[in-house]
Amino acid sequence: MQVFVDRTGGRRVAARLVSWTVASGLIVFAAVVGGTLLGAW
Amino acid sequence: MRRTPRLHWISILLGLLVLMCVVSFHAYAAIRPEPVPVAGGHRELPDGTLALAFHGGPDPKWTPRTLERLGAAGIKATFFVTGAQVTRHPDVARRIVAEGHRIGIDGFRAEGDHVDPLDLAFAQAALADALGVHTRLVGAPAEVDSGDREYQDIGTLVRMSLAQRGGVVRLHDDGSIGGDIARELAKQPGYRFVLVSDEPPEKASTRERFTGAVTTWSQRNGGVVLVLFGTAIAIAALLGLLRTLMQLGLAHTDRRLRRENEPPPWFAPPVSVVVPAYNEALNIAATVRSIAANNHVADVEVIVVDDGSTDGTADVAEELDLPGVTVIRQANQGKPAALNAGVREAAHDVLVLVDGDTIFEPDTIGQLVQPFADTGVGAVSGNAKVGNRQGLLGRWQHLEYCAGSNLDRQILHALRCIPTVPGAVGAFRRAALTDVGGVSDDTMAEDTDLTMAVTRAGWRVAYRPEAKAWTEAPASVHGLFRQRYRWSYGTFQAMWKHRGALVENGPMGRFGLLYLLAFHLLLPLLAPVMDLFVLYGFLVADAPLGLIVWTVFLLIQTASAGYALRLDGESLRPLWAYPLQQLVYRQLMYVVVIQSLITALHGTQLRWMSVRRTGRLMDAPGGSVHVT
Repeated sequence: MQVFVDRTGGRRVAARLVSWTVASGLIVFAAVVGGTLLGAW
Repeated sequence: MRRTPRLHWISILLGLLVLMCVVSFHAYAAIRPEPVPVAGGHRELPDGTLALAFHGGPDPKWTPRTLERLGAAGIKATFFVTGAQVTRHPDVARRIVAEGHRIGIDGFRAEGDHVDPLDLAFAQAALADALGVHTRLVGAPAEVDSGDREYQDIGTLVRMSLAQRGGVVRLHDDGSIGGDIARELAKQPGYRFVLVSDEPPEKASTRERFTGAVTTWSQRNGGVVLVLFGTAIAIAALLGLLRTLMQLGLAHTDRRLRRENEPPPWFAPPVSVVVPAYNEALNIAATVRSIAANNHVADVEVIVVDDGSTDGTADVAEELDLPGVTVIRQANQGKPAALNAGVREAAHDVLVLVDGDTIFEPDTIGQLVQPFADTGVGAVSGNAKVGNRQGLLGRWQHLEYCAGSNLDRQILHALRCIPTVPGAVGAFRRAALTDVGGVSDDTMAEDTDLTMAVTRAGWRVAYRPEAKAWTEAPASVHGLFRQRYRWSYGTFQAMWKHRGALVENGPMGRFGLLYLLAFHLLLPLLAPVMDLFVLYGFLVADAPLGLIVWTVFLLIQTASAGYALRLDGESLRPLWAYPLQQLVYRQLMYVVVIQSLITALHGTQLRWMSVRRTGRLMDAPGGSVHVT
């Protein structure tokens, strides 16, 4: 087994969860703020 | 095998965009344009009716004073505020509303700064955050000028305010005597006071309040983000400078010591060359021929280990029918297993390990084994050179090999902690390989892993720049990305695997790992911030300092690259392509580092990513070696 490779899959699931949460959070954030400001523009 | 993670790129790009917007908004809000009074529609008021309209606030000193005068006189007035000022002094804005006065918008940064809808949206956002309201009262209607910007005499100001015996009177609460005029107007008989608009502000929507919180935070804290940017750039600049100084200083010293020291007697041990190959049919013949054509004065055996190729690599090698060349076939087990198989088969104690796409010069083997005259040397790195330098990508890689890898190797040689004996050209003492249990498959960079292990086992690793080998560099951006991704990820794996070296007494922990950490991890991670800051300074803040620093840096690095080319006996002609590296190549390199780091965090098993071979090494001795 190579260094860093996740044996159980738990770390990968957690990392994906964090990744999805951060990405979707940023998308919603950008959509709300950008939409409000650019909507007025 | 899992797909490599990619989602983080959305987060990184959006995150950088948000940061860029935060600092840009901070810079934008700090600018105060000249106020431009914009007269709105006429507000019909009967004779003897006055609507006092204050502009320029809220101001922390003058607005409370105005509010006190109005309160004492029992007058309700209308305050046309600017959004940026509301963010600066939200308490004052709240007091205006709490005391029953009406709030309108005059602009975002100055009076009249509401003509652009985006400025109006910024101002509304500021109001939404501070007061939780959205107002339709934007821009004052046509007004009677009180003259409070030009005159001080209160009698004159009262006379001007009442010139039309009523109407909306224009006053200021940002440093004038507007409050005093209001007090005097209240004393005039026959006048009553109304608000500019009877319509109260609406409650702001949740979206507006959230946007307001964001713009307010950006206006207040954008400076902090800029300071963080600046700190990151300072660290990056210091690291870059340190590396350049080390490169120039140590490489120069290393060369000088070599020149000054009496060359030891020529060392000529018998050598076994192990060539692991997987689908190298295009290159293997040229590789084996170049090794067999060596002028080493002792026996040289060549062992080609075909690691389950599907393109007939082993057949091509066998068909050469060269003396001293043995071909071993095995099922595909990976490069480390192929190397170990070759080492087991080898007859001699000095082992040269070489990739199946590399061309040796006749004296490469002889040069490479010289450091083994010192019995403390366990491994020797040769000087890998790019054999296909056509096109921008080839030139860039050639420059990187000379100015980056080889110069780095000279520094690390001086510090006695070379972390990688490259797979393209390296030699090991059998005892060193035995000490570390052979080539491990724990990482994607088996060469780095092996070199670190050998150093930790107490062997010295030497660098022999005269032992040149020509290798085929990826010819496409995609190929380059795949190769560097594997290298970078493999290096991080090896660093992690050998992290114990940090608490050991050897040079790998003292210098090698820290060097890799600083220059192969931290510096590439800080590089995007530098690019972003240059863009910000140039495009947004009209402050070209970032660009100047960047240009000076580029000049230093170009000079350093020129020095590296000279040290390597190379022509300076390709140097023109060096500044262009900053536009694509450098970004690709930090994308690789970020991707490697994220892959490590995810724990994804990375596949072995082979580089598509063309078999064209035009710049290697012998020119094109394309085999058809």
